[in-house]
Amino acid sequence: MVVFTGFAGSAAAPPAPPIRFEEIAAKSGLRFELQNGEAGGFHQVELTPGGVAALDYNNDGCTDVFFTNGAAIPSLRKTGPKFSNRLFRNNCDMTFTDVTGEAGLAGEGYSVAVAAGDLDNDGWTDLFVAGVKGNALYRNLGNGRFADVTARAGLASLDPLFGPRWAVSAGWLDYDSDGWLDLFVANYVVWDAAREPRCGAPEKQFYCHPKAYQGLPNQLFRNNRDGSFSDVSRASGIGSHTGKGMGVSFADMDGDGLTDIFVANDSVRGLLFHNRGNGKFEETGLEAGVALRDDGHAIAGMGADFRDLDNDGRPDLVVSGILNDSFLLFRNLGGQKGFEDYAQRTGLLMSTRQLTGWSLGMYDFDNDGWKDLFFALAHLTQLDPYLGREAALPNRIYRNIEGGRLEDVSAGAGADFQLAANHRGAAFADFDNDGRMDAVVSVVNGPAKLFHNITGSQSHWLAIRLRGVRSNRQGLGVEVRVHLADGRDLYNHATTAVGYASSSEPLVRFGLGANRVAELVEIRWPGGPPQTIANVAADRIVEVTEQVQP
Amino acid sequence: MRNWKRSIGIGALAGVILCAAGPPSPGQHSYEKANALFVEKKFSESLAAVEEALRLDANLVPALTLKAKLAMAANRYDLARQSLERALTVDPTASYAQFLYGMVAYLNNEMTGALIRFRKARELAPRDPRAALYLGLATESVGQPEEALLLYKEAIRLERATGQPQAETLLPGARLLLLLGRLDECEGWIRQAVKLSPNLRDAHFELARLLLKKGEPAQAAAEGELSLSLSEGTVTDTAIHYLLIRAWQQAGMPDRAAVHAAVMRAGENPVIHTVVK
Repeated sequence: MVVFTGFAGSAAAPPAPPIRFEEIAAKSGLRFELQNGEAGGFHQVELTPGGVAALDYNNDGCTDVFFTNGAAIPSLRKTGPKFSNRLFRNNCDMTFTDVTGEAGLAGEGYSVAVAAGDLDNDGWTDLFVAGVKGNALYRNLGNGRFADVTARAGLASLDPLFGPRWAVSAGWLDYDSDGWLDLFVANYVVWDAAREPRCGAPEKQFYCHPKAYQGLPNQLFRNNRDGSFSDVSRASGIGSHTGKGMGVSFADMDGDGLTDIFVANDSVRGLLFHNRGNGKFEETGLEAGVALRDDGHAIAGMGADFRDLDNDGRPDLVVSGILNDSFLLFRNLGGQKGFEDYAQRTGLLMSTRQLTGWSLGMYDFDNDGWKDLFFALAHLTQLDPYLGREAALPNRIYRNIEGGRLEDVSAGAGADFQLAANHRGAAFADFDNDGRMDAVVSVVNGPAKLFHNITGSQSHWLAIRLRGVRSNRQGLGVEVRVHLADGRDLYNHATTAVGYASSSEPLVRFGLGANRVAELVEIRWPGGPPQTIANVAADRIVEVTEQVQP
Repeated sequence: MRNWKRSIGIGALAGVILCAAGPPSPGQHSYEKANALFVEKKFSESLAAVEEALRLDANLVPALTLKAKLAMAANRYDLARQSLERALTVDPTASYAQFLYGMVAYLNNEMTGALIRFRKARELAPRDPRAALYLGLATESVGQPEEALLLYKEAIRLERATGQPQAETLLPGARLLLLLGRLDECEGWIRQAVKLSPNLRDAHFELARLLLKKGEPAQAAAEGELSLSLSEGTVTDTAIHYLLIRAWQQAGMPDRAAVHAAVMRAGENPVIHTVVK
């Protein structure tokens, strides 16, 4: 079944209008200040919050916003309302209302990450909130309220080897293609406030390098289809590799119909888990060429996104890093060829060398048919005296020039886009359903920002909202190809695991440029033949329900 | 820069020269003994001797500078800073102390301080290639690649003027040219470095990286294997193995790539699924 919503497009698009944003968080009522609980103790946890989610929790067709929040240190307790996680309902007019209390999502503990997904296929998006020494799973009851089902889901028990862990990112994927979303948790390091190492000179203390902390393995939880999960970290091979996980992203990198996993690690090599299809993963980061920077150096990997940048049908990988790392961009060559360093040729390498990036997203912000890059930036807080400059940075946006060049167009992206802050998490969605991707960004100890996309482009767009029947309800992991009259094929897939500690909308979006019609839309549900729709008019959200063969 | 210890080691000789230019100090003999012990890497004995020199003459600049170097070798940058500040109070024109002060800042990622000190060291000793080289590195770190390249070129020019060009001075510029995608220029620099120090693994590693970028994976693999077989240099085995994985794969020899991947994985910390009571 196919349902069309939205409005038909208009005139042909002029070429290359500048990507522009206006920042409207205060105006829209999205008033949130992330608290990291810092009090001069230089505790490592202070650096990591906080993730943001863009989700439609009440199924009104307008994307809502959830913010994670920190807690007091060292107690790791939310000692007051300023530490509450917060849910904001989109009133469908680009204003938001704080509904945290009625939703029951204020939370407890030191929250860092959020992952949104429909874990029980009931059509309501649920939330997994991860953090320092405690994670929580909230089931969406469909009446505006969420229930904490962590214990019932089997996610509250402590790991016998590592005890409570510190998770920085998480994501939902259907790794075994059984139609139920499984949960991946990217863990960072072993941390104890009482045993925090001290670094820097006594009169000039600073946060320790991650090498001062022991890394942790990641976790994979298989959905038992009854509201509970089984820890398959060890059986799947995921738990056999230690890292210092920061960002996680998913894609079918080799076209075998199975979702693979990339984890960006802080100061140790990246991990690429190739899904073997038998419940097991093989770590292939070294062979694929995505484990380290080109010179063999492990960057401070932060956020990641795993999508097709150059429209060749193969998902590429972008990873943000810290000052003097340069951000990484790996181009997927297909099959055994692995990935090649693409950051230098596209101009991203040198352009990002003086930046520290956290969350990021690969979306087509000007709808020209090429996915651009948005980076949420800030140097480490209190690095100022070392750098001789402010830690706060303005964000950056890079325009994708036909898949071969990434042009920094931040300077032209509007006055609000030039303002520096300690940006961290970022989630991406079209909050006003105008076909242009917006971004919500958290700021450490400062007001969150909502970047409303006001790009003057008249380029056309198409968004696919998937409804799985045999597959998971949201269609996460499903790939979509769009063929255009100008001869181009565009590729994207459904995922909410985007960037750093954050979760973005599940819709599969395409910028169509001057094309008013997508000649063909091909949806590749796992385990079945492609589902195709011909001549789909642009500038609308198309809801596609999975066709199941009898 | 990884070979900074070599740079400050060379400085020991400079200290002797500086000392010889002044009037005799009661601490001179002890200082010379300390310096000789430092060169022999007998650090604790050297420290004892330098403390004796400073007991006899608290303002002996070469001894203060040597004490700073000893502190740096022990990663006590706070103590190094104290010694250097004292040395520069006694003699603000002590170029090597200025250079070392810059090194302390550079190694602590304090680029603003490093730039100031390296610039000052350059003013005081315009023919010292080390100051030009490290000013170049600090300049590159704050995002000024073209200015950094000019300084690298100046460092090389100064070294050539002494008749003792060093491969280590060529390599930072070569790495930057590689990052900038200026592959032909980069190749010229690297080939000079290889010629100057054929047993330096760093030079062969950079050549291998360049060849891989140029689409010559078989030659890159050969250079990489040569690099791995050499012990002199600072490039890690991990970095070389990672390069060789990609080079052999692109050369159509995945079995050889797998050997290097296995070595790398063997060096990583496995997760032991045993509960320690």
